Amino acid sequence: MDRKLTRRSVTAGLALGALAGPGLRIAPARAQAKAVKIAMIAPLSGPWARQGQLLRMGSDMAVEDINSKGGIKSLGGAKIEIIYADAGDSTEKAKNAAQRLLSDHPDLVGGSGAWLSSFTLAVTEVTERAQLPWLTLSYSDAITNRGFKFVFQTSPTADWQASETLPTAIKLAEAATGKRPKTIGIIQDNTASPVSFGKQLREGGGLDKVGLKPVVDQIFTPPLSDATPLVDKVRSGKPDFLLLLTSAMPDCKLVLEKLDEFKLSKGKVPLVGNGAPFGSPELLKTIGPELLEGMLFSVANWPMKGQEDFIERFKKRTGEPFLTQDGLCGYGDVAILKEALELAGAADKLKVAEAIRTMNLTTGPAAQSFPGPIKFDDKGRRQDVPMIFAQWQKGVPITVFPTDLALAKPFWPSV
Amino acid sequence: MGIGERSGIPHLTPALSASRGGEGVARPVAKSVVSSPCFAYRRAGRSERKVAVPFSSVDLLQALSAGLLVGSAYALMCIGLGIIFGSMNVINFAQGDFLMLGMYAAFYLTAGYGVLTFLGPYGGPIVAAFLAGPIVFAIGWVLHRFIVARVTGAGVAQIAGAGAYGQILVTLGISLILQNGGLILFGSTPVGIRTPLSRQSWEIGDVLLNQARVVSFLFAVALAGGMYLFLSHTRLGKGLRAAADNPQAAIYMGIDVDRAHRIAWSAGVGITAIAGGLVATSQTFQPYIGFDFVIVMYAGVVLGGLGSNFGAFWGGLVIGVVQQMSTLILPYQLQNTAIFVVFLLIIFLRPQGMFGRLSERT
Amino acid sequence: MRTRAEANRQRWAILGFAVAILVLSFLVLKSTYYQLVLTQVLLWAVLSLGWNLLSGYSGYFSFGHAAFWGLGAYTVALGMLYLDLTPWISIPFAALVGAVAGAIIGYPTFRLRGHYFALAMLAYPLATLYVFQWLGYQELALPMKREAPLLYMQFEDQRLYVVLALGLLVAALLISLNVENSRFGMALLAIKQNEPAAEAAGINTWRWKMLALMLSGAISAIAGGLYGVVLLVVTPEAVFGMLVSAQALILALFGGVGSLWGPVIGAMLLVPLAEGLNAELGDVLPGIQGVVYGIAIIMIILWAPEGVYWRVLDRFSRRAPAASAPETAAAPVAANVAPLPRVPAPLGADLLVLRDIGISFGGLRALDGIDLAVPEGGLYGIIGPNGAGKTTLFNVINGFLAPDRGAITFSGEPITGLRPNQVCRRGIGRTFQVVRAFSRMTVLENVIVGAFVGARDDATARQMALAALDRVGLSAQSEAIAGGLTTRELRLMELARALVPHPRLMLLDETLAGLAHDDLDGILTVIRQLRADGITVVIIEHTMQAMVKLVDHFTVLDHGRLIASGQPDDVVRDASVIEAYLGKKWVDRVAVPAK
Repeated sequence: MDRKLTRRSVTAGLALGALAGPGLRIAPARAQAKAVKIAMIAPLSGPWARQGQLLRMGSDMAVEDINSKGGIKSLGGAKIEIIYADAGDSTEKAKNAAQRLLSDHPDLVGGSGAWLSSFTLAVTEVTERAQLPWLTLSYSDAITNRGFKFVFQTSPTADWQASETLPTAIKLAEAATGKRPKTIGIIQDNTASPVSFGKQLREGGGLDKVGLKPVVDQIFTPPLSDATPLVDKVRSGKPDFLLLLTSAMPDCKLVLEKLDEFKLSKGKVPLVGNGAPFGSPELLKTIGPELLEGMLFSVANWPMKGQEDFIERFKKRTGEPFLTQDGLCGYGDVAILKEALELAGAADKLKVAEAIRTMNLTTGPAAQSFPGPIKFDDKGRRQDVPMIFAQWQKGVPITVFPTDLALAKPFWPSV
Repeated sequence: MGIGERSGIPHLTPALSASRGGEGVARPVAKSVVSSPCFAYRRAGRSERKVAVPFSSVDLLQALSAGLLVGSAYALMCIGLGIIFGSMNVINFAQGDFLMLGMYAAFYLTAGYGVLTFLGPYGGPIVAAFLAGPIVFAIGWVLHRFIVARVTGAGVAQIAGAGAYGQILVTLGISLILQNGGLILFGSTPVGIRTPLSRQSWEIGDVLLNQARVVSFLFAVALAGGMYLFLSHTRLGKGLRAAADNPQAAIYMGIDVDRAHRIAWSAGVGITAIAGGLVATSQTFQPYIGFDFVIVMYAGVVLGGLGSNFGAFWGGLVIGVVQQMSTLILPYQLQNTAIFVVFLLIIFLRPQGMFGRLSERT
Repeated sequence: MRTRAEANRQRWAILGFAVAILVLSFLVLKSTYYQLVLTQVLLWAVLSLGWNLLSGYSGYFSFGHAAFWGLGAYTVALGMLYLDLTPWISIPFAALVGAVAGAIIGYPTFRLRGHYFALAMLAYPLATLYVFQWLGYQELALPMKREAPLLYMQFEDQRLYVVLALGLLVAALLISLNVENSRFGMALLAIKQNEPAAEAAGINTWRWKMLALMLSGAISAIAGGLYGVVLLVVTPEAVFGMLVSAQALILALFGGVGSLWGPVIGAMLLVPLAEGLNAELGDVLPGIQGVVYGIAIIMIILWAPEGVYWRVLDRFSRRAPAASAPETAAAPVAANVAPLPRVPAPLGADLLVLRDIGISFGGLRALDGIDLAVPEGGLYGIIGPNGAGKTTLFNVINGFLAPDRGAITFSGEPITGLRPNQVCRRGIGRTFQVVRAFSRMTVLENVIVGAFVGARDDATARQMALAALDRVGLSAQSEAIAGGLTTRELRLMELARALVPHPRLMLLDETLAGLAHDDLDGILTVIRQLRADGITVVIIEHTMQAMVKLVDHFTVLDHGRLIASGQPDDVVRDASVIEAYLGKKWVDRVAVPAK
């Protein structure tokens, strides 16, 4: 079965990697210039190990691509070497990993990670003080609110995501049904990123701006034990569509199956989600394609038009059924660092940071890995980037919006 | 006065009553409502609420039924924990991880290696859940024989509290090994057992009962009943209880207390594993999931009364009900806080729980 | 309890340890990473010491110390975020928060015992976790203060954090040392050993337990506060989670529970081990580090169930319970018993009077209308078959149970409803059926517990304890390790403990049970001597035979009622008594002499 092969091959690969040890690291022995070191901190063990492994798949592929195409030209073809550290299952372990990386490798020029927003916060406290430029896909408010100069968030802020998600959903609905939705149901968990998203909707006036009234508004603490009381409220509230902000796949599954059980699925209550877990292969495995058909979700990054070859390559290399945000961002972060190194012209972390601050990439592998140009403001945020919408169609979550990045056409689910 | 309006008694089958004719007003079956004068009355259109409280009787019954269904799994888990605690006086921190083992055992029997696929998507998961029991029983047996028995049991407890300390650490160590060993063996990808039952429900009025959970409920109750009979009517069962009540006396009476403890331990983890297998159809899991259930299990066992298996069952059930019904009045986020509040209230007001022994053994 | 010299030695050891850590940090360790790990080792050690203060010494296992740790961390984080409060102020304030939390938690929770206490404690931090999430404090990042870093405890030099953490650790060690050497520590140990006995010996167990929890909470919270500063990110799971509570007790149990250095040993061994495993194996085969850690814990615990410290100590010192001095049972008891210079008073006025005492448990009438009058100087026996209510009677007299009806007076003063330690102070002493001795401590140390009531200072307590040992004839064994005592010696030691505060009335609970014939005589002699010294004795026993020789007066209980009372010879032949013990059949077989 696909999944077993994937896990087996990954485990085998990791085991082989362990046995081969240093040999597998990109050895600078034959390069003309010394290898340039970057880091990735991700949860490789613990409850989020899967996400960390996906990130790693992406970044390994990027390193290989870069090195096989001649390395970093402005540094004489120097190759990139990536050092991984396990963020584990706690902020303490994440911070220790960061500190250890910096101690063991004082010549790091940049890094990315750590997937979970609280881990990212802990890690960046260390990297900021070491003036190490750091990329992350996490987007809770605190990450870029601290006045840090060396943290660069590739995902748009929660505020932006919220303000982009709803109008697009409404536009799609109007185009399909001719009617503008008036009511919305919101189901979210209370982890930091959905909380930031939700804050924009409620306190930030996001809902008012688009004229939506929340008839269901529920926040739960993960993990969800049973979705019945939540979905019961949806049944009685009858929103025009349902916004799901759940950050863990198991919770998504419970809600989606319960909606089906209450006969609210398959278009009865159109679903709009936010976040990569809505497009995960595990969700497909555990729920099945019919239930997911038509579900829309907005996400910071998803395979787009122009990446078709890349997607195929990734799938073949890793055995994953399709490419998701984690793999893509893992690749993209390394690509950004590579571009920054090219621009900086030196393996110097301060110069790399400056290069990232001033860059405005619209072409190249880095720019192709993210929607919109790679440009960060003085807080380390990307502004005015398009919010990607993906939709499950025939068992594959595929980008449908914006049109110039879409790989398929969207439809608004209806009965 | 119509049938449904009889004070305080929610009427669950208005459809039936209407067809029987008899007293009362025939209600339109399609939009029949369950009503009682205490709660807000929701009419067919549901567009307006005459609310005295922010939920309707349908919501109440829905939450109650969800609580009972979820609670039946908790109840079975609690029985497992209760057997161990009652017989051995051991707080087993690894109980949640044996639950996880049961889930994975059931998973590999059905979806993973497809051993039971011939039974189809309905029977397979149930049989797998029950087979998970003996598998985890065996694992527990081995663990007890070589590790746990060395720090628990009649012989050890006499050394000024040494046994009490050792067993906590040993179970913590086992928990670590199971969780991380599980990560190595099973991988971190969340998996679940697919069955069409998990998204179908039976309808009683406006209350929907999830079929997968109802099936689990029935089997859980059956198993709990079986355990009860076993413990009270068989020699082995009575020996277990004797060993629990008074290990010294039991030894004198020729009961092999060590073996009794081993059986209790293995049975305890085995039953919890079956509970895991039953739950595996309703939710996805990964090797760290045991953690989420440990608190629920302890709350249930204490609520029901340490030392009473019957109580453990009811305790688990009540915890499930509290957890789901608390969402009616509390913010959803405080679901588990509600469990703790009830847990603490019980400990303070009635420490022996609902059915426990009155005094702690000294 | 240690001598002054030993205590000073420990202080020097603490100082030496502190110096060693400073040397390690400033001269040996070169990387910031190691400094960070060292800081964490020290902070976890402080948490574990805090835990040990309560749970290691008193035996009240807490599974919820994360509550204090988390409150400390959040106090600092919230203080800095919303009040711009510097950690130099908020960290000490966190100690106060911890103490108050300890009081609030302890007030209801100490009514529970054993496992219930532990499980209730488990609930507090987890409930708090959900509340903090609900309040919106999912992720608090301490703001970086570039303008005034020192003012906000934001050091560039990681070693300064080591110094701060070390300071906390030294303070915690000194506090623990002081507790160990004071009557506070003695009280906690007595509570751990046998709480009812401690209570009956005059120790106000409630007060000491509350103090222990408050102090424990303060120490844990202040460590949590500094942890927040070090980590710079505070999340509910990180500081209130089960792993934190588990860590506190794992370190102490591993290192040596109930000892001064145990938590430190545990922290110094386990925290670097876990971190090292993460570092080396974390990305190699994810999960392997957890497996290795778990195996390490299990293996150590199989080898040393009470922790490394005790195991090592047992191995290298003469304090091992197994290797005790050979039995000195040969010495006849009578020769050692030194009578007190007191003129035995003739049977005087009624000392202890019970009127119509009744108590029920649920539907069961444990005691039903008991009337009893014990004159001063008497030796009263209370007998009855199993379940008759004898121990319940003692528990009522002692204050462990409040009767539903009736009154008790002692020397004319009412004592119904008084707490056991107050009853003890009035002059009633009591022994318990199950003797739980501190096997690693000497006989004298075991007995000093009883000196709490009368003695003002430790020297007097010691004297009183020695005197009591003299009275029961155990002076020769005062320095013997209690773990090696015979049953007879244990009973005598228990007797001595109850005698220390010079009680006027002694309640002896099955002191003779299970003794061999020779041992029996020895104890009987001691008891008779007690009476000769003027102490009124009431003794519960099962077996008629031993009692007949001993007492002046028998009272027979059956099913909570007094069924016979009077001279031993008469009572033994009383028909109802025989029926109670042997059943109706036997009544006919025994001839009832005319009175």
